[in-house]
Amino acid sequence: MDLLLLLLIPLLAGLLLPLLPAGSPWVRRGALAAALLQLLDGLWLWQHPPAALSANWLPRLGLRLELGLDGLTMPLVLLAALLTAMAVMASPVDQSRPRLFFALMLATNVGLIGAFLARNALLFLLAYELILIPTTLLVATWGGERRAGAAIRFLTYGAVSGVALLAAVLALGWLQPGGLNFSYTALADHNLTALQQRWILALVLLAFGLKLPVVPLHGWQPITYSQAPTPVAMLMSGVVSKLGAYGLLRFGLEFLPDAWAAWSPWLAAVGALSAIYGSLNAIVQLDMRRLVAYSSLGHMGMLLLALAAATPLSLQGVIAQMLAHGLIIALLFCLVGLIELRTGTCAIPELSGLLNPQRGLPFTLGLMLLALLAAAGVPGLAGFVAELLVFEGSWVAFPWPTLVCLLASGLTAVYAIRLFNRVGFGRLDNERADWVSTSWGERTPALVLTALVLVAGLWPSMLTGFSETATAPLALRSSDAVTVIAMAPATVNSAQLPA
Amino acid sequence: MTATVASERIKAPLIPPSTHRYADVIHRLEAGGSMLPDTPENLKQIIGIYKAYAVPMDFYWRDLLYIAERVFLNPLPAFKYFISQEYLDRPNSYAGDQSQLRIWRGGEKVHPELLEFMERGETGRMSKLFHHLWHDRVNMEFAEACMQAMLWHQGMGGRFNDYLESDAYKSNADRAIKAYFKGNPLMLGLYALFPDMFLEQVRQLSYTANLGLFWEVMAPVFFEMSDIYDEGGFKGVPDAMDFLVNGIFAVAGRPIYHHLYIGDECYEIIPKSEGFTWLYEAALPYVEAVFYRTAPFRGTKSYNAQAGQVPADQADFHYGILYADVFPVGSAGIPPTLLMQDMLHFLPPYLKEIYREHRRGEEDELVQLGITFQRSMYNVTSAVIQALRCALLYPLDDTNPEHLMANRRFFEAQMDRFLRPEARLPDIQSQDYR
Repeated sequence: MDLLLLLLIPLLAGLLLPLLPAGSPWVRRGALAAALLQLLDGLWLWQHPPAALSANWLPRLGLRLELGLDGLTMPLVLLAALLTAMAVMASPVDQSRPRLFFALMLATNVGLIGAFLARNALLFLLAYELILIPTTLLVATWGGERRAGAAIRFLTYGAVSGVALLAAVLALGWLQPGGLNFSYTALADHNLTALQQRWILALVLLAFGLKLPVVPLHGWQPITYSQAPTPVAMLMSGVVSKLGAYGLLRFGLEFLPDAWAAWSPWLAAVGALSAIYGSLNAIVQLDMRRLVAYSSLGHMGMLLLALAAATPLSLQGVIAQMLAHGLIIALLFCLVGLIELRTGTCAIPELSGLLNPQRGLPFTLGLMLLALLAAAGVPGLAGFVAELLVFEGSWVAFPWPTLVCLLASGLTAVYAIRLFNRVGFGRLDNERADWVSTSWGERTPALVLTALVLVAGLWPSMLTGFSETATAPLALRSSDAVTVIAMAPATVNSAQLPA
Repeated sequence: MTATVASERIKAPLIPPSTHRYADVIHRLEAGGSMLPDTPENLKQIIGIYKAYAVPMDFYWRDLLYIAERVFLNPLPAFKYFISQEYLDRPNSYAGDQSQLRIWRGGEKVHPELLEFMERGETGRMSKLFHHLWHDRVNMEFAEACMQAMLWHQGMGGRFNDYLESDAYKSNADRAIKAYFKGNPLMLGLYALFPDMFLEQVRQLSYTANLGLFWEVMAPVFFEMSDIYDEGGFKGVPDAMDFLVNGIFAVAGRPIYHHLYIGDECYEIIPKSEGFTWLYEAALPYVEAVFYRTAPFRGTKSYNAQAGQVPADQADFHYGILYADVFPVGSAGIPPTLLMQDMLHFLPPYLKEIYREHRRGEEDELVQLGITFQRSMYNVTSAVIQALRCALLYPLDDTNPEHLMANRRFFEAQMDRFLRPEARLPDIQSQDYR
């Protein structure tokens, strides 16, 4: 029941919100209350690990209501709950069509939490597909000028991802020796041949590579992130993309370890390519949202590298990077949203002098500098811990791709300084600078995220403590990468993972 | 020599309209107006800021004279901004009952608002030293920046700057230096080794005295303008400008000098008998150096003023208040933060009300104040331009078209200085520029 509450709170709130009178301030407050309540429930479950839940739903199809929390999913559930709350707070007080907007935001949250809690591949698939619908509607209805194109592209890529995942899940289920069973426990304990594993892994890579995304499957990302309304961009970049990394970890690394080990050099290369491609593109962007989007693409490349390396340290880095990047990217989108709200533009050439203490947005720009430094992996901030684990863990397995990713990480500082220099300094245009400063209410989500980025940087176990024991059994290589641990069917299943 | 521009306003144009880019402004000047448009809010803004400027200026002129006449070459002038009671109580030479030549009201003593601020500052009652270290005081650094601008630029007309190189001046300075360091073999020894260095410092102090004497006149002018406005006296911006023009002519002949006092003894470094006068040796160089040029540093480029490298070419200098951009971080121009911070303490309520109603209200008062100051200084510059036209050219109501064309050429030449893109003249034409 404790686990179900995580789902029921946003689900019920999402269903009840449209019943409130139009224009009622309680719509936004209700959505925020639901998200905060879910976060509190998540924190309580962190301290009091719940028992797994298992119940029949559609047994003939192999669909069971199997829910559970472990060291991999606990931090992601908390991240999803936190970023939902922050996204609701970051939405404007006078949000247009608030009932539908917040209902869709909560529906996205239900899908995310459902996917993370699922212990059944078919259930995961249902939750995964559920996310696509509200996010597409959110982009299509409340997005920027090119929202229609962005929504169609997001939907198309999402549908391909869904179809690929469906095929992979069905293949995994149907090829079970014990009959149709989509339970994670069963999926981890299969007798698939190497060829079968590789075919299925190809589908898994397509599905989650699109979601993450990585080069060359990233076509939807820059336009969608740049056109999505700020709260939606926060949620999509902060959590939805992490679902891709989680899917690769669960369906690729855990269920198909042999194929994963065989293809890991190629995956590392793709990760390095994504990292450098994302960083180089970020440098030349003239729009802040697109810059942040390409920055995210670069960091997702580093995630893939760490997943490919699959050493105990790199897998800790994966979880740490998912959390750190989730916080940092949401913070960046939140701040970009604030700047856009005040100045009316995200175009870098149109903005300058925003650090002006009297007429600019010095507080917002100050936080942005901190977020950019965190993204660049400056010590003392969340990004440093995560990237250090990723690089140190991956170096032993794939030194060259790691070097490329290190270079890409260094380039983060280039686009960060370039952005800050252009937007923060120079002459503030008096014609444009006729705006009021940001209110404390608007700053709150950015402040909360900044505080967490700082705390995580100074207290790294906040990022790694969740996953230290949960990721170790998934490692394919030892820490020195000399020994390949898992070249046989997986012997570790999720039930064995410590909570 | 007093002139009233209002009475000279022309009725019908005898010459064709100007084709200058600032033709509207030129026609306004030809009609006896100011570069600043005549609107009730502009009038309220400039008078309000004159009042806010006059209070710290009342400190500036006293302390500048104190530094030039008393602190002089003190090698450790740490307390030069701790003005003596004598200079604080010094009656203004042109205002009040005790003045040598009473032209304006008040001025017997330092302004009460200034005294109150010196006592409490922003923070509260505490030792003078803490107020100083906390920068909770009148920022004399601004006044010194203006003085240094006048010293650095040089060659802005008049005879004052040339006199600083004359043998007479060197001889007077030498006498003063030796008297000041009498009984101090170390400093006298240094003077013997590096006489030019000491002389250069005295030249700077002569400009300090020059600026002090200039502002001694301007402070009561601004106070009185504020009083007249409060009494309902000014009907528009041109009235305020006329008052300034009349003020300029009233004290145009005021002697500019530099005296050093050691005890009761006076050493005349620049004696009054040299005939330097307020308008040509102080007012005009001040407007040129401070309103137009200001700091002779442009980005990473700097000049050695002592080596005479500061060019007179105006294209190199556009940092005065007439061009100043109050927006960039670490702005150029008259150190806006210091002067604006000084004026902020003495804003009249009606000006605060205007600021509250626009932009970010109290949050960006400093910027709004800076722009108001810019407007007000365009009005002062207009007064100077009109005064120069009065002195050098023809009345505005002259019926001779050739004379009017000469006036036109003069005005157009003045406006040419605002053709460069940094000039704020087009901005102040709009009330929305805040």
